[in-house]
Formats: sequence, structure tokens, C-alpha cells
Amino acid sequence: MKAWPRELSVGLALAALLAALAAFAPGFFAPQPLLSLAAREAPVLLVACGAAMVIVCRQIDISSGSQFAVVSVVAGLLAAEGWPPAAVATAALALGTALGALNGFLVAGLGLPSIVVTLATMVTWREGLRWWRQGAFVNLPDGLQWLGLGQTAGQWTLLATALALLTLLALAARHLAAGRHLYAVGSDAEAARLAGIRPGAVTFGAFTAAGALTALAALMNVIQSPQVDPKSGTGLELKAIAAVVVGGVAIAGGRGRLAGVLLGLLLLATVGPALTHLRIEAHWEKAIQGAIILLAVAAEGARRRPA
Amino acid sequence: MSPSPTVPRPALRHETVLLAVVVLEWLCFHALGPRFGTLENSFDLLRHSAEIGLLALAMTPVILTGGIDLSVGSLLGLCAVLFGKLWRDAGLDPAAAAGCTLVLGALAGGLNATLIAGLRLPPLIVTLGTYSLFRGLAEAITRGADTFTNFPSAFLFLGQERWLGLPTQAWLFAAVAIAVWLLVHRTTFGRACRAQGFAPEGARYAGLPAGRQLAAVYVLSGTIAALAAVIYTARLGQARADAGTGYELLAITAVVLGGTSIFGGRGSVHGTLLGVAALAILNNGLVHARQPREVAGLLTGALLLLALAAGTGPKLWAARRARATPPPSP
Amino acid sequence: MGRAARPRDPPSLPLMIKPALSLLLCGLVFLAGCGRAPEAARDAGGGGKRLTVALLPKSKGNAYFISCRAGAEKAARALGVELLFDGPTDTDPAKQNEIIENWITLGVDVIAAACENREGISTALRKAQARGIKVITYDADALPDARAFFVNQATPEGIGHTLMDEAARLTNAEGEFAVILSTLTASNMQEWLKHIRARLAEKYPKMKLVAVRPCDDQKDKAQAEATTLMSAHPNLRLLMNICSPAVPGAAEAVKQAGKAGQVKVIGLGLPNENRRYVKDGVTDSVILWKTEDLGALTVEAAVALARGALQPGATTFRTAAGASYEVKGDQILLGQPFIFNRANIDQFNF
Repeated sequence: MKAWPRELSVGLALAALLAALAAFAPGFFAPQPLLSLAAREAPVLLVACGAAMVIVCRQIDISSGSQFAVVSVVAGLLAAEGWPPAAVATAALALGTALGALNGFLVAGLGLPSIVVTLATMVTWREGLRWWRQGAFVNLPDGLQWLGLGQTAGQWTLLATALALLTLLALAARHLAAGRHLYAVGSDAEAARLAGIRPGAVTFGAFTAAGALTALAALMNVIQSPQVDPKSGTGLELKAIAAVVVGGVAIAGGRGRLAGVLLGLLLLATVGPALTHLRIEAHWEKAIQGAIILLAVAAEGARRRPA
Repeated sequence: MSPSPTVPRPALRHETVLLAVVVLEWLCFHALGPRFGTLENSFDLLRHSAEIGLLALAMTPVILTGGIDLSVGSLLGLCAVLFGKLWRDAGLDPAAAAGCTLVLGALAGGLNATLIAGLRLPPLIVTLGTYSLFRGLAEAITRGADTFTNFPSAFLFLGQERWLGLPTQAWLFAAVAIAVWLLVHRTTFGRACRAQGFAPEGARYAGLPAGRQLAAVYVLSGTIAALAAVIYTARLGQARADAGTGYELLAITAVVLGGTSIFGGRGSVHGTLLGVAALAILNNGLVHARQPREVAGLLTGALLLLALAAGTGPKLWAARRARATPPPSP
Repeated sequence: MGRAARPRDPPSLPLMIKPALSLLLCGLVFLAGCGRAPEAARDAGGGGKRLTVALLPKSKGNAYFISCRAGAEKAARALGVELLFDGPTDTDPAKQNEIIENWITLGVDVIAAACENREGISTALRKAQARGIKVITYDADALPDARAFFVNQATPEGIGHTLMDEAARLTNAEGEFAVILSTLTASNMQEWLKHIRARLAEKYPKMKLVAVRPCDDQKDKAQAEATTLMSAHPNLRLLMNICSPAVPGAAEAVKQAGKAGQVKVIGLGLPNENRRYVKDGVTDSVILWKTEDLGALTVEAAVALARGALQPGATTFRTAAGASYEVKGDQILLGQPFIFNRANIDQFNF
């Protein structure tokens, strides 16, 4: 009964939603728009993976949306300066890793609470970016979109990359020592330390990896259109965290699977388009989204209660 | 090793440091902006920080229990809309409508409480859900477009005028602040909240009614958010579904800046008040220093990190030193 | 957040570190404030003081208002007045009021506001007028009793009708269309939508508004919304985008769906953000006024009002730069909105 509890309820909710769509709005399953939607959610999946690692480690990162925006704009500006794509990607990944490492240093090195650290970096990067760029779009050079692969191939590539990374991370979390350390530190940092794990290093690693994943996500978003909006990524951290916790990762650390995160994201990412397809007016959307989150978690809570 | 809270010397308390920051901010901006120190500006400061201050007050006991309430900003929006609806469409006079709004706010807080204390779900997820739900209901009720306005001047008095020399809402804010201070620092309820935050298992074994306490804290938070909604509506003279967008983060910022540990157990209401003051003065003073608003955001981030580092750094250092020299006894 | 491992409390604290850090902190606050100290000092100087015009955008970090600001700064330099430009960085409607109230206390001479919410901001603007500060509005009006003049770049009615007429022209006045706006709660969005709906009901019975979707002022979200709209409504003929980030977002979605020409894209936006799509024939027309002129005219009018050169009842307003604008009642008219299309978009750079 305990196997995959949250994943099950999220899976059922998703199945119900898809069934409703199949019955009332089969147009949702038209392949081309669906691929476009999936490609647009691929970066979110990577950010959610990073958020999941941080949360498993019993921390939280609410600065990922701001990191995403900073990396997007910097990558865009470098590309507009004429840097080759590989160099842009390297620089962007380095920047994202550095931003993640800064969070990691403040949390693991100085022992500050992660929500406060990332609240501070979230505000700082977002406002700093606004101050610096004043909201101006960045126009990208022509060849950058889809990296010259063409649209359909590009979208499949993005989707495949995201899913491959998810699989790799999920395998690493199960089978690699580093993955197990993450869970160990998240379950009980003191016990992990006594077992010879360095909790600080693991926490630092989780934040750094989350930063790198966010940077990769930003790059995957940038190549999907010819312009960079400096407001991109606003609210992304909440979307990612919601996907992670709805997907069954325990907010108190030490428990959760990336497969659940994928399900959680699929559910949350389907709600918005589904409402459009079901002809429900936009002003209901947030209420329905909130109700779905609450139902998905309450179902588990109700079942867990002693009879 | 028992986690007995160290009682640092009064001069080194986080609150004292923060008080110094507030005073210094005041002096700085007083030097920079010729009109910053005027009475009128002090009233502006009070008026502008009343709602966020109320939400921060409500958030303090929540965080003390080790929880969090992300839904307060959305609830402010929902209550503002409900208040408008009750007054304009149900024909209640503002006082009755405000009373009903407080009850509705308590009920909304009760939803959080049921899920968190009743079903034992993590507060972060529950209030993330209600954050979306409450804002969504506000939008659904107004279809996004409806705006409530033209409130009677007797009601606007609450948000825009002065009573006994101070902005009217300042009195309400002071009353709530004193009540919450007494609740947290002078009652067994407050002590139980801290115990809950410090060691939930321990609190349970000590026979504290943990569920009821937790529930009460979230209901209180909902009620105060409703009160903030009424004041907000009176200050602006309008109620719309987007009222209070982002206030939850501002309130949390004020609370953690005030020295309350995000893990619960430690913190104070006067710390929160100082945190609110530090942020309000920063935001207001930078206008007087003719700096753009982004700077306020940047400095808020820096202030948070430095205030926290100031609290944790020395401990870390001491811990390092302690590790270097062997402990006297096991 | 959970209850993560709490660092164990050491028995004692080193005494000097906290005060040292707090000093550092205060130093930082002080430094941040010091940058512009001479100006503040001059303001206190009293005699021979320069006129200060405070220009309030709806929100910061928005290309539209950056363009307004550029024009406003040029005009301010030419007129020798000091320009304060500041606005909210988030969408909460109370923030504009707070900035205005701060400006009142600061003692600026004129406030020029683009109002995010008409009723709410009027409270603060009336207060400013009561303190002898001149108030004008631009871009989006407040209630008439809360300001002296409104620099009108286009009435909500004019914008709504222009958009709807352009949509009808492109679709031969029949078929389904959808609207993408910034947020459902933004009052200018709702105002325009009201006039779009009125025009639709009145003149174009064969057209149908099938959906109204918010994009939170983000291009990426607008792109996702447009993709969904096209698949949910296969007969969609046109996407009408009434906030500026939505126009390129919707255009990219249409391009990626391979529906360029089949689903038309129009909207309110800046030429630079849309040039590529207009030239590719994805976006048919972008409607806007000359934003720099709007900013400049606003500052000119603000200064003229403060110096008494602009009085109620005027029928024309001549700027110091020599241009002449029509004044209708208490509204200074910027002129007709522009329709940018493939033929003329290269003449504009903003």
C-alpha cells in the first residue's frame, strides 16, 4: 500500500484530466501543438529536477526563477555580441553554476537558512537585472534558434535532452554514492556526518547542481525564440517547487523520486492548456490549480491518518 | 547535548543590532533627504507599513511553530474582494461588512489549519495551494474585472485620516501588535508555539495539544490577513482581486530579518516589528534619497544576508574554535 | 523548509563580531544613499531651486515606459527641469500610491502619473493637489477631479475601436478571434476589452471572441497561451494582443505552428520588438503612438502647468520645442495612434 503513494494519486489526477480532455476536447492531442507545449515545458522540468535535489537535501531554492532570467539575458547578450553558440553555452553554464554555488556557499558554508539566502538572492538578481537592463528585450542573431536544427527536430532534441537528463539524475540518485548522500543528508544531517558524509559538501553540491540545471534550462528556453524577455522565469521557482512537492518529494527532506516530479509537472503543466481546451474562462484557472494541488496532497494526508 | 537556547548579553541580541540598523537608517536618510524626518513622512511610513506589518505579525507565531503561511497575500486580495462584495452587493454597512470579512478570513485560515493540523500536511505545500486558490477565488468572484470603489468617507477615515494625532490604522496596528506580543511572549500558548517549533515530538510528549495550537496559529493568521484587507481597502479607496500581490514574501522577509528562525522555536514579535521598520524605512528613505526602487530591492537582499550573517557568523566562528580545542567533558 | 538540522548553539559568543557586522551593514546603507547627496542638498537650498517633475510609470522594467522616459528626459534637459522617474517593480496596486505619497512629502512640483488603477490612485493624487502640487496624468487617466490635464495618447475607446476595426479588416469581419492580455486584473486591459467587446457587438456580428487569456506580461507565457489557443480553437482567424510582450510571443507561436497568414496577429506593441515578425509577414499590424513624443509632451505640459503657461480652458498647447497640440476640454491630444505594418515599420526605431 505504501509503494508510490503520492505518485499514484498524482497519476490518477492526471489520468482523469486526460480522460476529460479525450472525451470533451480531443483537439488537445493533436501532435504538433502538443510537441510545442512539451518543448516549452522541457526547461521547467530541468529547473524542477534541480529544485527536487535541493529539497531532498532538506533545503529550498526560491531564487531559480531569477537565476533563469539572469542567465537568459547574459546568454542572449553574448550571442548578440557574436559569440559562437558553444562559447555562449559554456559561459551561461559557468554563470549558472556560479550563482548556484553562491547560494550553496551561503547555506552550507555560513550555515544560513536556505529560504532566507535564496529569498535574498532572488530579490537581488531580479532587481539587479531590472536596474541593469530596464526590461529591454534582447534580440538574438538569426542562426541561434533551434541551433540551426529546424523546428521539429529542435523541439524533439530539447525534449529528449530533458528526459535523458531526468533519467540520468534519477539513476544517479538511486545508484551513485553522491545520490544516496543527498538522501542521507536530507534525512538526518547529523547521522550522515557520523556515517562519514560531509553534509556541507553535499548541500553545496546540490545548490551548485541546481544552478547548473537552471542555466541549462535557460539556454533551452533561449533557443526556442529569437528574442529574450528579461521577465522570463518570473514565478518559475514556484512552478518548479509546486511540481516537486505535488510529485511527492517530502518538503522535510530525504524522500522523493524524480519520476514523481515528472508526474507532478505533467499534471500542473496540463491544467492550464486543458482549461483552455475545455472552454473554461481564464479567471477560474488559479482557483482550479490551487484546488488540484490541495486535493493531490490532501488525498495522501487523508489516507495516512490512522483509522 | 541539549539545544538549550543561549541567552546572549542584551547588547548583542539580534534585536539590539537591528534597532541600531533602524536608527542608523533613520539618521542616514535624515541627512540625505531634507523632508525625510518630518512628522508627515513618519505618518506616511506608518500608513504604508500597516498592512505588511500586520501580515508579518500574523506570520511570526506561524514561523515560530516551524511552519509558514504563503497564502496571506492572496487571502488579503480575497478578503478585500469579499469585503467589497458584502458592502456593495449585499448592502451591509462597512462596519458589518468588515466584521463578516474577519469571520471569512478566519474561515479561510481554518482551511489551512484543517489541512496542516488536521491532516498533518506540510505547511509549505498547503499554503502554496491556498496561495493559488485564494487569489483564484478573488479573480473568479470579480471575473478579474470588477473593482469596488466609492466607499463612504466614514470608512475611508480608517485608512486615510488621523485619529488622536496618528493615522487611524496605526492605532489598530498597535493594538494588534500588543495583542500578538502578549500572546507570544506572555502566555502559555506562545510558549507552546515555540516548544512546537523547537521540537515537535518533544512538545507532543510534554502533553501539549499540538494540533489545536497549530490550528489556532493559522486561524489567527487568516483573521489578521482579513483585517489587513479592510485597512488596505480603506487606504486605497478601492478593492480589486490583485490587492496584496507579493505581500507574503515581504512579510516573511520582515519576520526573518527580525531574527525569527525560519525553522521555528526562536524569535520575537518586537524583532518582527523592527524588521518591518527596517524595510519600511529603507523603501521610503530611498525615495527621499532619490534612488530608483530597484535599489531598495537590492539593499533588501543585502540587508537580509548581512543581518543573518551577523547572527550566525559568530556562532560558526565559535563552533570552529570549539572544535579546534577539545571539549572539556563529553 | 522543514526542520533542518539546527546548528548547535555554542555556549558563548565572541563579543566583537556582531557590532562590527552591524556597522558594516549600516555603512552599506549609508553608501547606497550617498550617491546622489549633492542633489538632495541643493533641493534643501531653497532659493533659485529648479522645478522638479516626477514621472510615474505603471511599472518599471517595461520597454514602453523606457521609451516614454527617453522622450521625457530629452524634454527635461531642454527645459532645464529636474526629472524624477520611478515606479513600482511589482503589480500590487498600492505601490503607485505609496510612491506618490512619498513624492508629496518630498515636495516635488509636478506629478505626472500613468495610472494603473483609476480609483485607487486618485486618492493619492487628490492629496497631492490639496498640498499645492500640480498633477497631470498621461497614458492612462485618473478620475477627472484628481488631476488638471490628461495627456491623451489615445482614448480607451479609440484604442479598442482601432484594434477591433483592424481585426475586422484583416479577417473580412468574420470568424473567431482571441485576446491575450497582461493580467485579468489590470484596469487598462479591462477598459480596452470593454470597448473591443462593445465595438464587436455593435459592428461585427459575424465575428466571435472565443477566449481571453492572460500572459502575466511575459513573452514566453504569451507564446504558450497562443499555441494552446490555436489548437483549442482550430478555426481561429486572429490573435489580438493588448499588452506589448504578448505580440512577439503570439507571433512566434503562430510561426512555429506554421499558421502564418492563416492566423493573423495584431496588437499593441513597440516596433523594435516586432520588426522581425512584421517583415516576415507573421504579424500584420502593430498599433502604437509615438512613445517618446508622449513622454516629452507630458513633461512639457507638466512644466507649462507649473509655470502657469498652461491654463484650464486652453484650446491649443504650444511646446517650448515649437510643436503644437490640440487641447480638448482637459485633455491634451497627442494625435492618432499609428498603425505599423510592413510598409512603414522601418521608419521607426523605438
